[in-house]
Amino acid sequence: MLTEREIIATLDMLRNENLDVRTVTLGVSLFDCADRDAGRFIENTRNKITRLAGSLVDVCDEVGLKYGIPVVNKRISISPVAAVAAGLSAEQMVLVAAALDDIAARLRIDFIGGFGALVEKGFTKGDRALIEAIPDALSKTGRVCSSINVASTNAGINMDAVALMGQTIRQTAEMTADRDGIGCAKLVVFANIPQDVPFMAGAYLGIGEPEAAINVGVSGPGVVKMAIDRARKADPSLDLGRLSEIIKRTAFKVTRVGELIGRKVADRLGVPFGIVDLSLAPTPNVGDSVGEIFESLGLKSIGCPGSTAALAMLNDAVKKGGIFASSHVGGLSGAFIPVSEDLNIAEAARRGRLTIEKLEALTSVCSVGLDMVAIPGDTSAETIAGIIADEMAIGVINNKATAARLIPVPGKKAGERASFGGLLGEATIINITDDGGSAGFITLGGRIPAPVHSFKN
Amino acid sequence: MGSAADVYVLIIHYYGNVGDVMKKIVLFVLGPDGPGIIASISKVLVEQKCNLEDVSQTILQQQFISIFIVSMEDSTDENELLSALRSKLEPFGLVAHLKSMQAQGHSQQQACESFVVTTVGPDRPGLIAGMTGVIARYGVNIINLKAVSRSERRPPDYVTIYEVDIPPSSDFKSFRAALQAKAQELGLDVNLQHREIFERIYQV
Repeated sequence: MLTEREIIATLDMLRNENLDVRTVTLGVSLFDCADRDAGRFIENTRNKITRLAGSLVDVCDEVGLKYGIPVVNKRISISPVAAVAAGLSAEQMVLVAAALDDIAARLRIDFIGGFGALVEKGFTKGDRALIEAIPDALSKTGRVCSSINVASTNAGINMDAVALMGQTIRQTAEMTADRDGIGCAKLVVFANIPQDVPFMAGAYLGIGEPEAAINVGVSGPGVVKMAIDRARKADPSLDLGRLSEIIKRTAFKVTRVGELIGRKVADRLGVPFGIVDLSLAPTPNVGDSVGEIFESLGLKSIGCPGSTAALAMLNDAVKKGGIFASSHVGGLSGAFIPVSEDLNIAEAARRGRLTIEKLEALTSVCSVGLDMVAIPGDTSAETIAGIIADEMAIGVINNKATAARLIPVPGKKAGERASFGGLLGEATIINITDDGGSAGFITLGGRIPAPVHSFKN
Repeated sequence: MGSAADVYVLIIHYYGNVGDVMKKIVLFVLGPDGPGIIASISKVLVEQKCNLEDVSQTILQQQFISIFIVSMEDSTDENELLSALRSKLEPFGLVAHLKSMQAQGHSQQQACESFVVTTVGPDRPGLIAGMTGVIARYGVNIINLKAVSRSERRPPDYVTIYEVDIPPSSDFKSFRAALQAKAQELGLDVNLQHREIFERIYQV
């Protein structure tokens, strides 16, 4: 028996609090498509993705309609291209990216992720070719996303890869200079990348994954914020312990929605259901912001002292509620703080409340790292590499996923605006201290050894 | 009103556990709410050697409404039962009716899927008639209906919730479109959602 209170509360989540399924991502293994001939590899890839994902968009829409929960993005993640196309040259890798873009467009897929490589311990020939292809590939395509894992807790940090990614990010920005360096919004550098991330730009299908799988990313920052606001209005004496309980219960509900939709889509497509990624994913809309949750928790703005503690509590409560709600949790599973994609966080950065240093501190307790951060276009490759290295160290030492999605905006300086459009949003360029102070360290190269796994202090 | 109530006598006959011929009645009681109503009714039923099989009770704006399915031996006199009930209940302003129980209600020949239709918007005459007209036209059966006012809103929203069974033969897309068209005509927001979404969110 349903109660009217439950039905009305669900309606409110949908109508006023932006509850939706942020992404249903179909993972497709491409290992059986491998071929030394680029044309045959592309043909095999096209046939396989079209066979498995041909009805993905229609099925997501139908399931979304049946349950009254919109599926905002339909995406595909594939095996790391550097591995399945290891025999190809950089020029051929660009052709692969163009073909992936075309496949995604034909299937009406928003993004296709996995044009990437895992290089935490060193490069293969395929890895080098793929990274060399990135600037060209991301400037010529709109839907292809790239992730490069340069570090892990078990392998340490490949500093040669970090330096190379600093240069690659600069080149990618230059090649998309007419669009504020948007190529870099589709490129992310990771430590400890999970194999089943459904969110972009990090989505790829890991080598331990099945032939195909449905992975789901929930949304819900608006739902969490409204739940906190309602609870505090009803009982102004609520303390943080009680508020974390409210976040936990809300995360439970949001996760149940994601899992139900994911399982129904998986059943209809005849592929196994993989995981729910619990991440609170914002959009550049009022009422759909992670930043607003900080204000609901009593902070004047994200970035004020206390923000790291608030984020730690939020992230932990979301995990506790979500893990109970779903049989399989994976991906990044935390809270995202993507600067340009979150209206409130972008505003905090504009007003100078949120600096790159504070963002870095926040990433030590949240799920994805320095995300969608617009930086001055003239930031040197070595300084970018230095920022990446710091972020990777946080992930490696704390045994968690972290990432850097930095966008040097060509021709623009700190304080100016950069606009990326749609869900990628817009942001004020954040100030970076770039006096060449990182270059001496970055150019040393090599691999920072894996950290000790005991004596945790 | 109570004394003038129609009395319908039961038609169903069947064999109970002890081999006696049994029959069933449907009993309705309605009137102002207060403590002790169910206790009074059930006491009379026991005295008349009746067995209470199913009960549903609700209160709408302090009005008590309940429905009982009662089984009894074929020889039991319904008029005597009704008189006994009325003598207990009428002093409290409550009305009792007996009705014969039809063998079957709406038969579910097909495996239906359960959905929830909700409308939100200002109250107006013809709201429920309009929506239920569409629901009936598509052969969709309403299994539960609630209407509540959201008085915290200004102006208050009127929320109607229809739990419905949609037969597989119904055209889901066309049904949704018809609901939306009617809701628009009535100035309402309408949602049609599979029941499972509510169960999954709220039930552990």
